[in-house]
Amino acid sequence: MVYATDYTLAELLVATAAREIKDGDVVFVGVGIPGLGAGLARLTHAPNMIMAMECGSIGSQAYRLVLGIGDNACVENAICNTSLWRLFSDQQRGYFDVGMVGGAQVDKYGNLNSTVIIDNRSYQQPKTRLPGSGGANDIASSARKTILMINMQARRFIEKVDYITSPGYLDGYDARERAGLPGGGPAAIITDKCIMRFCPVTKEAYVASVHPGVTIEEVKSLVSWNLKVSPDLQKTEPPTAEQVKITRTLDPEGIYLRGGLRNLTFDRYIEMLENSRDVLSKAFMKKLYNGSADRC
Amino acid sequence: MFTAPEGKRKSADKTMTLTEAFKLFINNGDSIAFSGMGGSQCVAHTYELIRLGYRGMTLFGDSPCEAGDMLIGAGVVNRIEVAWCAYAVAGLGHNYRRAVEESIPAKIEVKEYSNYTMGLRFLSGAMNLPFLPTKSLLGSDLPTYNPEIKEMECPYTGERLALVPAARPDVAVVHVSRADKRGNCQNLGFISNAENIGRAAKKTIVTCEELVSTDEIRRNANLTFLPEYCVDAVVEVPFASHPWNFPYAYAYDIPFHAQQMEAYRTREGFLNWLDEWCFAAGSWDGYLRKVGWDRLFKLQQVERRFTLSSI
Repeated sequence: MVYATDYTLAELLVATAAREIKDGDVVFVGVGIPGLGAGLARLTHAPNMIMAMECGSIGSQAYRLVLGIGDNACVENAICNTSLWRLFSDQQRGYFDVGMVGGAQVDKYGNLNSTVIIDNRSYQQPKTRLPGSGGANDIASSARKTILMINMQARRFIEKVDYITSPGYLDGYDARERAGLPGGGPAAIITDKCIMRFCPVTKEAYVASVHPGVTIEEVKSLVSWNLKVSPDLQKTEPPTAEQVKITRTLDPEGIYLRGGLRNLTFDRYIEMLENSRDVLSKAFMKKLYNGSADRC
Repeated sequence: MFTAPEGKRKSADKTMTLTEAFKLFINNGDSIAFSGMGGSQCVAHTYELIRLGYRGMTLFGDSPCEAGDMLIGAGVVNRIEVAWCAYAVAGLGHNYRRAVEESIPAKIEVKEYSNYTMGLRFLSGAMNLPFLPTKSLLGSDLPTYNPEIKEMECPYTGERLALVPAARPDVAVVHVSRADKRGNCQNLGFISNAENIGRAAKKTIVTCEELVSTDEIRRNANLTFLPEYCVDAVVEVPFASHPWNFPYAYAYDIPFHAQQMEAYRTREGFLNWLDEWCFAAGSWDGYLRKVGWDRLFKLQQVERRFTLSSI
């Protein structure tokens, strides 16, 4: 295994998300960095992973970047197209191993807010109205484990979130079970500075590893509570050269990796789709069928 | 209060224009729900509602994009019961934000659920039951700010459950891959909440990318998710989801959407967009002409390259 020497923070995050997925996992995934992580996992160590998308599409094998949770890429080569309530019921039944969720604020017990920044105003007329739960509350409630992805800007990691959209461990200890939530709760918070995990007893977040070039002091300065640190603090594993190469193939115009949507012309976009189809179909053939021309 | 579903139109030919269907089945003040999820959005329908000048409507939605944000910005909708409202990768729901944060163009009432529980509300309406229980929402702040979400202990097992009330909108607008004149609907891709929205509503307007014969429907009956007895009107509206994707039909026009979202950042930009793309264009055909048939053809053609590889 060869680690990449030339990679961006976004590419590190994609690889870190991918490593949370095991082969055979059923993963409830969105778009952006977590979506790229799932795509990367499938093309590397988890070829039997099944992606579930909120629109009702299960197990897609898209030869292009996924641009929405109901994009045609979600339907492409899917193993099942069904309805929304059916897909989410499968999750409530316990079939989904991993769910990826994001938000604007998180607290020490992994409770996430993606609804409102109230900031001395009210829920009805907040400082900032965010999009809302979507499926995040359902994923946080019922997935066997969740991976939270949130960047460490100031005032994002706070003692108490303004609104719990997606329940983590609530007040810690066994609060989650007492509330009646079936899923296992957050397993990790992947940030742009570090990875946090949760104490099995108190359910409080602690820093498990810091990303290359980041100090623990910097991480602590961005968190509004006295953040616990693992006595065995690690440095986050960098992406491998293969992971970086595949990540760039998945998002050739850098739509998620470097804000590439802003300057994307229509012609370049169509060209991107056509190239992706050729490049990614070959990559999948090689991974899944050992390069054989026979399609399963 | 719950009653048996009202009768829907029985006719061997329910086809009409979008304007006719809306004028016939939609009234000011009605509650309305649209199909689509993260794609396949009801965009043509949103523009038509705005053009016809509807007011005082309530939106029941899972995660509406245009049908949430634009209808709020245009003053059509003043109450929403949804899980989410924005434009995902393309951008934020600036009209939704302006309405909640600054009461522009008007204050709106918001009741929040999650995607699954909105799905259960439509399922409950489709089942003609008053509510359904779930294990979502527990422990979160959704019930804190939405008194319609109740909690109970299961009378059989003692488990904690959250309850969500049935959603029975006055009107459902459902866009599908193909339908026949009687209203039998088939989707080649995902169904999202379309099957239950179409069943729960008192009146159901179906639009399709392609009108097909009943014989064609019978050939692949497993694809049918909404049978004719749920449907009041059928309208053929190709490219009805542009700039969104529609499975097996056309790819997502995300460069167009990104440009549109830039305009929506300001109230003025949004109003100019409506003037140009909704009112001056005059109809969905006018909108599509303005987008350009070359561009639409390319979106269709590139999608065909993917679907041919996957069938």
